[in-house]
Amino acid sequence: MKLTIERAALLKALAHVQSVVERRNTIPILSNVLITAQKGRLALAATDMDLAITESVEASASKTGSTTAPAHTLYEIVRKLPDGSQVELEAASDGGSLVIRAGRSRFTLQCLPPADFPAMTEGDLPHRFQLPATDLKAIIDRTRFAISNEETRYYLNGIYFHAATSGATQVLRGVATDGHRLARVEVPLPKGAGEIPGVIVPRKTVGEVRKLLDESDGSVDVELSDTRIRFSSGNITLVSKLIDGTFPDYERVIPTGNDKVLNVPCKEFASAVDRVSTISTEKSRAIKLAVAKGVVTLSATSPDAGSATEEIEVEYKDTALEIGFNSRYLLDITEQIAGSEARFLMADAGSPTLVRDGADESALYVLMPMRV
Amino acid sequence: MAETEVRKIIHVDMDAFYASVEQRDDPALRGQPVAVGGRQRGVVMAASYEARKFGVRSAMPSVTAKRLCPELIFVKPRFDVYKEVSRQIREIFLDYTPLVEPLSLDEAYLDVTTNLKGMPLASEIAREIRARILERTGLTASAGISYNKFLAKLASDHRKPDGQTVIPPEKGPAFVEGLPVGRFHGVGPKTAEKMNRLGIHTGADLKAQPLEFLEQYFGRSGTYYYAIARGHDERRVVPNRPRKSVGSETTFMEDLDRPAAVEEGVASVLGDVWAYCERTGILGRTVTVKIKYADFRIVTRSRTLEESVDSREVLERTARELVRTIFPLEKKVRLLGVSLHNLHQREERRVPPQMTLAL
Repeated sequence: MKLTIERAALLKALAHVQSVVERRNTIPILSNVLITAQKGRLALAATDMDLAITESVEASASKTGSTTAPAHTLYEIVRKLPDGSQVELEAASDGGSLVIRAGRSRFTLQCLPPADFPAMTEGDLPHRFQLPATDLKAIIDRTRFAISNEETRYYLNGIYFHAATSGATQVLRGVATDGHRLARVEVPLPKGAGEIPGVIVPRKTVGEVRKLLDESDGSVDVELSDTRIRFSSGNITLVSKLIDGTFPDYERVIPTGNDKVLNVPCKEFASAVDRVSTISTEKSRAIKLAVAKGVVTLSATSPDAGSATEEIEVEYKDTALEIGFNSRYLLDITEQIAGSEARFLMADAGSPTLVRDGADESALYVLMPMRV
Repeated sequence: MAETEVRKIIHVDMDAFYASVEQRDDPALRGQPVAVGGRQRGVVMAASYEARKFGVRSAMPSVTAKRLCPELIFVKPRFDVYKEVSRQIREIFLDYTPLVEPLSLDEAYLDVTTNLKGMPLASEIAREIRARILERTGLTASAGISYNKFLAKLASDHRKPDGQTVIPPEKGPAFVEGLPVGRFHGVGPKTAEKMNRLGIHTGADLKAQPLEFLEQYFGRSGTYYYAIARGHDERRVVPNRPRKSVGSETTFMEDLDRPAAVEEGVASVLGDVWAYCERTGILGRTVTVKIKYADFRIVTRSRTLEESVDSREVLERTARELVRTIFPLEKKVRLLGVSLHNLHQREERRVPPQMTLAL
């Protein structure tokens, strides 16, 4: 195998695939990236056995073939090469090493045989649809903050995608929850997605897919079965296992009768929450909202640090209410709200509060209060 | 032998409570066979007297009830209303004595040996309480009056509905002797069956058994059976008896046949249990999972942990491990329940401030 490629193109592709590779691996081959020189192209592949990525870029190959080399080391080398340089990759004839040449630099990396590189089985992926990249971005950005880290509740460690009916329209929904808050985002149902099973896409896959979307304005092809999902965009393909579990019946925690309506100017509110929470303890992050007609008083106290209060003008006409929230959770939600106004629908200090974007009905957040 | 004062205990029991409340609030239900509970699945929680004529009983599967009485009208329970009535009757009880021990929403023991009204006759107190309950709630209650809890409870059942019975000390042993053992409080269907196999059918049969025999076959309960067979019961009326367990259970719309679905079922049921723990700051150390198979056979699995269950994660992990012990499933599962026992109040400082969604 021997090829030459422009440094920037190689770096970009390596950046994508190396991020799938885990830093610590007990299986050596999983630390490596599979490098394949084809006619006029270079293909890179990496996997952690749950998630596999492949990407191909233009390159001039003088000898086709493949090898595997340590992904992070190779990435670091290419990153440090001077901008604009041409990089030559050549596998030694015995397959035991890879030589990297650029200008006056020369590196030799230990290789492992490409035959040992694990291929991820995809099986049959019967459902196929195309989704605007902006829609997938919207779902991921507005739900991923709520994904649970609790390994005991593994079925919450991802975003739950499913087809649903919202009013009269068919939608594709993304839902994530960690048991304290829940985010639900809807986008128009893509053609071909009406019959998909509900699937839970793991956190890491969500993160990797999201990185690729930054560079994609077009659309993403999605194919899936009960156990696997594949995302393709341009020259990049990601295949991931799905979380084998049942997402809980989340609808039952979305309150429908909350009648205390609070409209806040979102940016101002977020800034005030951020300021006041400086005082609340690192561990609890609790702040109190004293909601009265036309005004909310935010306050926080900490036995060590002191106290803080700030008033903010709001739209509120119902009976006064005191309610506590984790300030971090409030900020996570207000960050997702693009409109100028956030609407809080509350019942009482011990029941879930609904938060919506005043200008956008497609996203919905449920937040459980804190005792303050 | 030291002469102890003879106690005066009243057991007040509302008549067909849930069903009567529904009939009170909806005239269309009066005179009709009514069952409170789920129509499709689940069980009858209460049956009106009209329904009981057909053999409909509480705790009976709804389908069985419907078969016995095709005209049966099912009504969804309204626990808020029952709780409110329960609060009203408790207020009445407390006018007579602070020693009120509620057994459930609709029945309670009262110790009126010394009472706030200075009334000498417990049967008069019972009559007055029942009249006031009727006046205040429009519902009838029955009462049993005797010198201990066991006999008071037996007595309240004697002239139901809207009646009361006194068992004085000299009649106690005779009253017990004539009854089938299945009627005794504390002798469930399983125990009754076991007693019948041992040739014990009536109170008299039970009384004929030596203590050693009863202890050999029934363990610690044997001592209790030995005592009640003689009309003895020294249990006190304990006001505000602390809660012994907290639990929740669900009958599924369709029986579950996959282990994964059963595990998820357990995980969803325990959401309510944990929500209660969080709201009240109550913690438990023993986790019990209850499984009712499609053939109504019930099995339970329990584990007592070293330390209290102080997070939803621990509760869920334990419950899942417990339910896995019944895999592979021998039958489809109809109902799943999760409960916590060995309860104690969480120390104030340790109440986690962040509340959780009941997922």
